[in-house]
Parts: sequence; structure tokens; C-alpha cells
Amino acid sequence: MRELWRRLRHGGTRERGLDEEVQFHIDQQTEKYVRAGLSREEARRKALTRFGGVESVKEQARDEFRPALLDDFSRDLRYGVRLLFRSKVFSIVAILTLGLGIGAATAVFSVVNGVLLRPLPYPDPNRIVRLHQVDNNGRRNNNVSEPNFEDWKSGTRSFTAMAEMSAAPQPVSLNGDAIMVPGALVSREFFDVMAVRPIVGRGFRPEEQHVGATPTAIVSDRLWRTRFDAAPLDSITLRVESTNYVVVGVMPPGFNYPGDSDYWYTRERFPAQTSRTAHNFQVVARVAPTSTVDAARRELSLLSRGLKQRYGDGTWMSDAAAAPLRDSLTGTSKPLLLLLFGAAILLLIIACLNVSNLYLARASTRQRELALRLAVGAGRGRITRQLLAEALVLATAASAVGIGIAFAGVKALAVLQPANVPRIADVRVDAGVLAFALVVALVTAGLLGLLTALRTSPTTLRESLGEGQRTMGGGRSERTRQGLVVAQVALTMVLLIGAGLLTRSFLHVLAVDPGYNTANALILDFMWPFVRDPQTVARRADTEREILSRLGQLPGVEHVGLVSSFPLGNGFFPNGRFIEMSRPDDMTTLDDYGRISADAKARFGDAGYRVASEDYFAAMRIPLIRGRLFEPADGANAPHVAVVSESLAKTQWPGQDPIGRFIQFGNMDGDMRGFRIVGVVGDVRELSPETVPGPIFYGYYQQRATSRVSIVVRAATPTTLAASAREVGRQVDPEVPIQMRTVDDALERALAGRRFSLLLIGVFSGCALVLATLGVYGLMAYLVAQRTREIGIRMALGAESTDVVALVVGRGVRLAVIGVAIGTGAALGVTRLLDGMLFGVTATDPLSFASVGALTLVAVLAATLLPAWRALKVAPVVALRAE
Amino acid sequence: MVGQKRDTFQGTLDMLVLKALQLEPMHGWGITERIEQWSEQVFQLGQGTLYPALYRLERQGLIRSDWRVTANNRRARYYALTKEGRRYFAEELAHWRRLSRAINLVLEAS
Repeated sequence: MRELWRRLRHGGTRERGLDEEVQFHIDQQTEKYVRAGLSREEARRKALTRFGGVESVKEQARDEFRPALLDDFSRDLRYGVRLLFRSKVFSIVAILTLGLGIGAATAVFSVVNGVLLRPLPYPDPNRIVRLHQVDNNGRRNNNVSEPNFEDWKSGTRSFTAMAEMSAAPQPVSLNGDAIMVPGALVSREFFDVMAVRPIVGRGFRPEEQHVGATPTAIVSDRLWRTRFDAAPLDSITLRVESTNYVVVGVMPPGFNYPGDSDYWYTRERFPAQTSRTAHNFQVVARVAPTSTVDAARRELSLLSRGLKQRYGDGTWMSDAAAAPLRDSLTGTSKPLLLLLFGAAILLLIIACLNVSNLYLARASTRQRELALRLAVGAGRGRITRQLLAEALVLATAASAVGIGIAFAGVKALAVLQPANVPRIADVRVDAGVLAFALVVALVTAGLLGLLTALRTSPTTLRESLGEGQRTMGGGRSERTRQGLVVAQVALTMVLLIGAGLLTRSFLHVLAVDPGYNTANALILDFMWPFVRDPQTVARRADTEREILSRLGQLPGVEHVGLVSSFPLGNGFFPNGRFIEMSRPDDMTTLDDYGRISADAKARFGDAGYRVASEDYFAAMRIPLIRGRLFEPADGANAPHVAVVSESLAKTQWPGQDPIGRFIQFGNMDGDMRGFRIVGVVGDVRELSPETVPGPIFYGYYQQRATSRVSIVVRAATPTTLAASAREVGRQVDPEVPIQMRTVDDALERALAGRRFSLLLIGVFSGCALVLATLGVYGLMAYLVAQRTREIGIRMALGAESTDVVALVVGRGVRLAVIGVAIGTGAALGVTRLLDGMLFGVTATDPLSFASVGALTLVAVLAATLLPAWRALKVAPVVALRAE
Repeated sequence: MVGQKRDTFQGTLDMLVLKALQLEPMHGWGITERIEQWSEQVFQLGQGTLYPALYRLERQGLIRSDWRVTANNRRARYYALTKEGRRYFAEELAHWRRLSRAINLVLEAS
């Protein structure tokens, strides 16, 4: 190495001096001839002749300082390439196998890189944090109440900017089309937190940030280009929820935070919220350059614990937390991605083991060649270098295949669009990903080359120069190959068991009864524009009834129901704290919450709050368990009634009858009229089939207003209704965009993440199984070939064919059993990592372990059968002649 | 590659170069001149062998080089013996003397 370095260092400076030195020499010679009496011209010509070919002299001189090692290595590389072409089948199998491993690892890495590693596209993104309230149970809440936010903002010094925001799709009218477009309500310092400014137009001005100000909005580059044809700003307005917003700015392309927002409007135009327990905003902040995220977190926590002391039960916040924005964006997908990455790395290792095995098999056939080279004086290092160069050529070809696979994989990912992976648009094969593939290839090449070099030591080589190949075939190398096969089987077991557990979980999820029936139902989602005027709100209830009845008259419709938050999907599931009252009019203002909370905590209860129509339960096939459902007689002016879910009834009033009790839940919609519970209905799993059914409280849609509406139409053939259903909606209110989906679609979306990870792990473990089987087959075929003579002798001496089969199969099965045993042990340690993704099975599910073990054994058995059959074909005479 | 036995011709050329540099540092042309002069024009050194030999010796650490200005005010690369070079030359010279004496004894034997 030092020699190489010296030559490299030397070579560089030397090259520069060479010309000058040669020139000097020729000049001197010329001078000498001139002094001897020749003309200058003659002298120069003669000097040049004497010197000889200038360039060839230089070239010979260069040979002396050019780094010989590199030269050798490039010769080795060329040799490696020739070798690859010589044994085509070997090369193709090895390159494809390794390419598969590298491709899988690279594809998954490109996702990991895009989602987890690449910095967020905002200036100094590590200083942006999400601030959370932490509740009494130590849970980190997504939302913050406005008074708490204001206290944080005024009481901390670690942040240069802090903003609240609320992102949601809103009905937007564009050129007569009403569609839902995601937008965000943001407070004053939002763009300071993100440190991103509009590229066209300007930011919000103070005079636009107070109640009653002219409505202004900033739009995304995407919306501006696709919906406004990038028209000049003073010519466009954005109509959201029946309000016209003057567009004052356009954000840079790619800026769509929070959520996937296409426009931003000012929080300050709406009245301040005074309730410390109304949690309606998310909070982002930028940590000051003079502080750190940790210090900021400590300051915020101290302040928040002080607030808890001051307000007691008046706030649900007992502490606060600050999390880097990236963590909150990637939080849920991080374990999933790391898991997939781990699986891909396992597959890569299996592929490497497989190729090592191929390599060793071939090395044993190349022993003579290598031994000859050793004998004529090549050093051990020289041989190692050559093997490394060969491995490098192989790995480079494989990484080209792998990068191709990665490109295809990333394309497929764009098609699959796993809904629960954030920043998926950021996933691409970039320089970082290519570098990763390259590093993987280099490491692989190094390991392969060194392994082969170690296994072909001079001693074994020297033996092979003699004819002594009669024994069981180079004992040490064979043991290594067996070890490799065992390792392959073991690692494959780990992957397969992971896949098995996920499959069983998936089947369990599919088999779960979500509490409602998903077949043959169409869902119409829409949202009323926000208004406070009571007459308008009351009119909406009439409109809703009108829509329901018109939909009910469409042909083939069985039931039509309305609910404020449809299970699965739109992700808006408000919940809150209600109070049981002794009389229907016990509480008439929100302040009574504080009064009551002091004396009787037992009267508190937590539940999801929904508004539903009388036929919703029939349309969803949610059973009535006790009491009655809503009835048309429960009109707008009748006493307010409610229906509760079974789990709410059981947890809140264990062993007692909930029917007839009075409930105050006015903090959800500001309506302080109390409810009387009239019925108990079955539980539903709202978020997804995997969630535990939560307590749910249903109000009646003719009595309580809701801005979000989902209508469920159950019919024989719901999809044929889509057009007429949309028409009904348009007739009723053309400015309200209606989205349509089927319940099955919604369920599919809820399962998409699970399906995605199962698909990937399934593909990986399938590939692993194929590779491991091939590995076993390769080894067995090799052993049979090595033992042709032995088998021949045995058969000549009268061995039964069953003996021969038993010899081969027994050997394979022994390896498989060891591999399965080791794999089972390893899997027991690893599957705990899957815990969060399992459903209905434990990480040590015996059925999964047993069936995967059996599958592996069967695969290995199958892999040994062909070589065993070939062994049977060995005719004794041929075998004896084979030497 | 130091320590490896070089073939006779290469070895001889190296010896001549080292000998030429024994008195004082010299540039490449000076070395050819010196050797020609000493050998009474018998050795007409091919440049194709001189420069590779110089670089080889330098790489082996037997000579070193630096740029100097000649009497005629031109820049030229001067080569000089290193300490190791002197020792190596002394050894090789002794070896050569033993060898040539032995050869002479054999050839002149009567």
C-alpha cells in the first residue's frame, strides 16, 4: 500500500517535469554539436536523432513511475470480465441473484431515503417543531386549545415564531365546479415558522388579520397553475365556503404544508376561542438559533406544568411536548419502513450467501487454474486481488441490474400509492440512492472475493494439483458451503415467519366484523359551508331530509342514512367529554362545565360525538340492542334525544340502564340543550377494522347541526346510482361539492397500508425461499457430482436405490432441519419487532412457526429430489470410469 | 522492488549512473556525457534507457532529484546520490570487483 501511495504521489509531480527534462537534454546536445561546428539547424536535427523517439522515451520513463498496482488491477478487471463471459450460465445466475438482492435493498432504501432521511424542503428544517399538549394519561395530543397556545406564545423565549393551524378539505367553487380542496387556516407567524415566502405576490398584511377584515388567501403553485392558469393575481379570487377570498400570493412549488394544502387563509379573521378545553388547532414553532430543541422542550414543559397548576381541571393539559416536524410527518410509517428495510437487507444477505455458494462451487472447479498460478509464482495476495477483481466485476453488473429493479420498484410504488406513507412523492432514485447501491455492491464484492480467497488457500490448492480429488471433495470448502446453505435456510425462515404472521394478521383483519356491513353501499360525502346564522342551520336540516327522501326514491334503494363522520376514511372523528345531568336543564351555559366538574367527576364521560339520521343504523346494518332508534317524531322542536353505542353503555353505566338518562354534550356544537338517551346500538370499529370499538354518542340530525355529512345509500346495485345520486345533490345545493365512494373502497383504503407491507414482505420472502431452495439444490447437485464414483461403487456392491436416495435426501434434510431450527430461534427474537403490526396473532404464533417450518422442509426436500434422482441414474461402470 | 535482483544489463547501467553521480550532483545530459567520456566513447548511452533508469533509481531511494539553475542560467533537474545510494554503490562495487576478478582469473588462467 505504501508502495502504491509513493508511486501515485511521485507520478503526479514527475509527469510535469518530464517534458522539461527531455527538452533540456536535447538543447544541451544541440549546443554541443553547435560548439563542434555544425549549423544550429543541423545540430538540432542530429540531437533529436541521437535522442531517439521522444515520445517512446517518455513512455518508457513513465512506465517507471506509473502505479503498477493499478495497472495490475485493471488487468485483473479485464480478466474478470472475460471470465464472466466464459461461464455464461454461472454469470447470469449470479448476477440476477445478486441484482435481485441489491435491487430490493435499493428500492426500499429509496423509500427510506425519501421519507425518513431527506431533509424537509424548508430552510433549517431541524428547527421546526410540532408542539403538543400532553394529557393526564401521558398521551400526546394532536390538537391544542387556543388559550393554551396563546400562553405558550407569550410565555416562552426559545422560539422565534409560533403558529397555530388547522388543515382540512373545504368546499371550493372553481369555474362553476364545486370540489373539495384541502386548505389551511393559519395564524400570523405561520410563514415565519416555515421560513418560506410567496414567490408571486406577497404574504398576509396585518390589516388582513383581524375580525371583519377583507378575506385574503395565498394559494399553492399547483392550484395556481392548474386551476387559475397562472393568471395575474389581481384577476383571481378563490371562493371557499361561499366566501370570496382575494388571492394575494402564490407559494413556491412543492410547498403544501400542513397536510396537502392548496391554499392558506388567516386565522385572525375569525373570533378568538376562549375555551381551554376546545382543542381545534395544531401548533408549529421555530426554535430560536440561540436555543436548542431540547432547551425549548424543557421551557415549554415547565410553562405547561405551571398552567396545569393554575387552571387545574380547567385544562386537560398536564404537560407539553415538542417533536421535530419530520418525526411528526413520518411518525407512523417509520417502524413500517424500517421493518421493510430490514426484510430487504435479509433478502440481500440471502442472495449474497447464494452467490457465495455458487462462487465456491466454481472455485473448486477452478482450483487447478489457481493452483497453477500459485505454482508459477503468483503470491497469495496476487490471487486474492484477482478474486476480488472478479467479484467486483460481478457485483458491478449485479448493481446495474439492481438499480434497474429499484427504478421499476419506485415506479410501481407510485402506482400502488400506499396511502399511509407520507412524503411518498419525495421518493425517487437519486444520487444518494445510487451511492447506496454502489456501497452495497462494493461491500458484497469485498465479502465474496475474500470468502473465496480464504476458502482457496494455497494448501488446499497445492493438494488439488495432485490427483487426490478422490475424497469427499475438499472437506473444508464443503463444510463452508453447507454452512452457507444452513444460514440461507435460517434467514429465509425468519422472513417467511414474518410474512406468515402478517398474512395471518391480514386474514384476521379481513375476518373482523367491523360492526356494520360493507357490501352494496354508496357513500356521498359533503360539507356545509361554515355559518353561524341559526335560520340557515335549521334550513339545512330540512335540505338534508329532502336529500335523504329523494335518494330513497331512486330505484333499488333499500335504506338511506346520514351520519356526521362515516367510519373508515375521512379521518375526522371528533370526541369530547360529556356530563350526566340529573335534570334535562341542569346546565345551560358552557361555564357550568367548570361548576359541575368541581363536585362530581363520576358524572364525566368521554365519547365520540356523531349526528345521525333514523335510518343510518338500518342502512349500515348496525343493530339496535335496547330501547328505540330516532323517529321522525323527534323533530327540531321536540326534546333532544340520543342513542349510545354498546361499549359506551357498558363502560359508563355498568350493570345499569342508560336509557332515560340526561346528558350535556354542548361543548361539541355549542348547543346547550341536553339530550335524553333513548336507545343502545351495536359497536362499530370506526377508524379501521383494526381499531377497538370506541364509545360513541349519536345525536339526531333534525335536532343537532353538523357541517360534515356522509350519506350512506344501500341498494342492490349502488354503483349504477352514482350519477342520479350526484344529480340529487346538485339540485339541492350546487355550491356544495359531493364526493362519492363505496363502502368497499373505503375499507380498501383503510387496509391499504397493511396490504402494502404484506405484499412487499411476501414478495421478499418468496424470493428468499426460491433462492434458498436453489442454494440447497446447487449444493446437493454438487455433492452428487462429487460422489459419482462413491455412489457407483456402492451400487456395484449392491446398494439399493433407496439407499442412494436416502444418502442424498438425508444429507439435504439434515441441513434443512438445522437451518429451520436456527431460523426458528432467530425468528423468535426478531418477530417481536412486528408486534405493532400484528392483529389477532402473537409474535410467537405456533401455527405460523410450524407451517413455515413445514413449508421450508418441503421446499428443501423438493430441492434434493432432482439430484437424488440423478444419483440413481449413475451406472456403476460409468461412475468407475469417470476418474 | 528494492532487494529484487535486477538483470545484469540493467544492473550495469545502474552502476554506471551511480558512479557518475558519486562526485557531484548532475543532470541527465551531464550523466551521458560523463559516462561517454570515461568510457572513451565506448558507452553511447541511449536516452531510452537513461531516463527510465534514473526514475527507477529515484523510486528505489538510491538517488534523489531537484530542480537547479545551470551555469547558463537554465532550469534543469539535478540528480544526487542518497546516503542509501552511496552504501548500495559501495556494496555493489565490492561485489563487482570480486566477480570481475574471479572472471579474470578464470579467463586469464594458463
